[in-house]
Amino acid sequence: MTGELLYDVRNASRSFRRGDATIKALGGVDLTIEHGEIVALVGPSGSGKTTLLQLLGALDRPTSGQVFFEGRDLNTLADNELADLRLRALGCVFHTFNLIPTLNALENVEAKLAPVVLPADELRARSLALLEEVGLGDRAEHLPSQLSGGEQQRVAIARALSTEPRVVLADEPTGNLDSRTGAEVVDLLTSLSEERRHTVILVTHDAEIAEKTHRSIRMQDGRLLEPALL
Amino acid sequence: MFYLRYLRSELLGRRTRTILTLVGLALGVALVITITGLARGLDRAQKTALNPLSTIGTDLTVTLSPQQDTGGFGRGGGGGQVVQANQSAVTDLSKLGKPGTQFVHDFFLPGTQLTFPQKQTAKIASLSGVAAVSNGLVLSAVHQEGVVPKIVAKIKTGGQQLNIRRQIKPPTAAEAAAMQACFQKLGVGGGPQSGAQPGFGGGGRTGGGFDSPAARKCLPARMREFRARITTPQQTLKQVVSPPQTNIKSTSYTIGGIDPAQQSIGLVTPSQLSSGRFISKAGGHEVLVSAAYAKRKSLKLGSTLDLNGTMFKIVGLVRPPLGGQTADVYIPLAQLQKLASQKGLANVVLVRASSSSDVANVQKEIEQALGSGAQVASAKQVAASINGSLVDAANLSHNLGLVLAIIAAVAAFLLAALLTLSSIGKRVREIGTLKALGWSQRLVVRQVLGECLATGVAGGLVGVALGVLAAAAVGALGPSLSASSTTGTTGANDVLGLGQALARTASTSVSLTAPLSLSLLLFGFALALAGGLIAGGAGALRAARLRPADALRQME
Repeated sequence: MTGELLYDVRNASRSFRRGDATIKALGGVDLTIEHGEIVALVGPSGSGKTTLLQLLGALDRPTSGQVFFEGRDLNTLADNELADLRLRALGCVFHTFNLIPTLNALENVEAKLAPVVLPADELRARSLALLEEVGLGDRAEHLPSQLSGGEQQRVAIARALSTEPRVVLADEPTGNLDSRTGAEVVDLLTSLSEERRHTVILVTHDAEIAEKTHRSIRMQDGRLLEPALL
Repeated sequence: MFYLRYLRSELLGRRTRTILTLVGLALGVALVITITGLARGLDRAQKTALNPLSTIGTDLTVTLSPQQDTGGFGRGGGGGQVVQANQSAVTDLSKLGKPGTQFVHDFFLPGTQLTFPQKQTAKIASLSGVAAVSNGLVLSAVHQEGVVPKIVAKIKTGGQQLNIRRQIKPPTAAEAAAMQACFQKLGVGGGPQSGAQPGFGGGGRTGGGFDSPAARKCLPARMREFRARITTPQQTLKQVVSPPQTNIKSTSYTIGGIDPAQQSIGLVTPSQLSSGRFISKAGGHEVLVSAAYAKRKSLKLGSTLDLNGTMFKIVGLVRPPLGGQTADVYIPLAQLQKLASQKGLANVVLVRASSSSDVANVQKEIEQALGSGAQVASAKQVAASINGSLVDAANLSHNLGLVLAIIAAVAAFLLAALLTLSSIGKRVREIGTLKALGWSQRLVVRQVLGECLATGVAGGLVGVALGVLAAAAVGALGPSLSASSTTGTTGANDVLGLGQALARTASTSVSLTAPLSLSLLLFGFALALAGGLIAGGAGALRAARLRPADALRQME
């Protein structure tokens, strides 16, 4: 932690329309996160954890309220600017891994790096180095279908870290893994991020995993159970 | 480059989907190419076979019907003339030559069209609105060749037996002495030898002998009577003569006389040449043979054709227009007039109007000028007289060809679009992930379009290849369409009873092809590409415009 404010969420709400009904997934959240923090969003299913994470990851926009990232109101940014932000400043890890099934492990990492426009050699070298860092240097040519769940999630972590983002957002990264593998994956994610001084925000059900983070923010019914302002 | 590797991985990694899209596109393209090609083929066949007169520079054909007297235009004689002329087709064996010799003989029959003096066409040429006229003589011919038969009647005679029984009493001694004395007196022989039959046989040394009338008187009366004349009963011998064995072969064909000096209008024109050259303007012993007749008779360019003993050289093969005054062989008019003893006569006039709008007026004028015996047929009427599967198919093509081509094109386009959209619909998850990773909307659309382009190009190429193969198959299998036109029977059946035999039925068989052109292939190819790219672009744009969270939510 640097004491430098990274996120400032002000009264953010997010509603969805399902037919005639409006579902409020997030209702008036205030939250601040500093650079270098490792934060866990915990709570039961439907508590709004993923919705909040998507707002923080610039994957969605709040229905009302504001989300400031490094002082910039994300609502004011155009789609292209948000895409650029996601590319350079944010890295996402999903509980379903979301690897491109037709690309091998190395190419999946390259998929995140490619829009950065690097020389082909450097693109490959960086991607391979990251795969080696997550222990999959020898499986670079394997397709996702040829990798175990843990291995796929490691590829996803390597992919998220490839552009040296300032924040890594992980949505239940252990959701599809057994507890041992899940613990290994979280350890890997947190250790790599700490080394790089990345901020990590992860959504989890698992109390043990939450204990490994600097701060746990508990949610229920789209609201924070306690103030999360620093 | 990463994006190209990604593109290749996508296409090869999702092989089933790629192949399905590609095959769908290819079938659509092939369908468009084949249907359009077929429609073109029918159109082309229709132009050559069903629009006959325009190809011989003619708007109207004028003939004379034998039903009525011609009021001075024709040679006169009406039906009677035709009957008489046609009856000349009787083979007189006695005039063919010596028995055993080879003969070739052609009969030229006017059929059911009256001949008229060539000079009379000036009457038509002088009418206003007539740009050009040309004479023609179209005759039905019977060609006979073989060996002149020997006609021999064998009559057997003789072999009749005359049985005469008569008891002759030998001469008495007195009679014998009297006979000897009489013979001696006459100076005949030395009298009968002992034991010999007196008075029979020669034996006489002198000219009178025992047979002389004087010596006969030396015989007794009963012996004299026996030596008198024997007359057998008179009878008439009858022998049936078998018809002679002959090898005379008769074939019929039609022959047209054309004016070689006037090549822009005529029964055939140089534009109908399928090979060889046209008859030289000077005329001469040159003949044009219709391609169908040449095929039937195995005639080739350069070979000779024996027409009533005159050898004509085949200088060209032609495809005469259907429905007009067609013939199997064409020779200079003067030559035909000479061969058929129809000097200075023609039986068809081809007329070209000054402009297409004048045709109806010119037709009326000619009918008025020539009287009711003249039959003036316009190109439209000739085309209407043509029937057969080609007409049916052409009508079908005319009515449905364009619609079918449009339906095929729309179907191909929609198929390409639907397959692409369906393919993109299944990739929303992937597109959401790419956007979450930081791919811009433009980059996502570009990537998807690249894939559509590759699929479109491959599908288009395969489709073009399939289309070319299908067109080639149509050409190779060659389903043939026929068109036929019968001329010369109008009313003649009833009047003469000859009409059926003398009618000229011209028919043509057109092998259906599906001619392709570079523009058609490009059109089919572009259609697949456009379908894929437009649908791909629209689908990709729609998916890429989704917020990443929404795209990711859709996949769950």
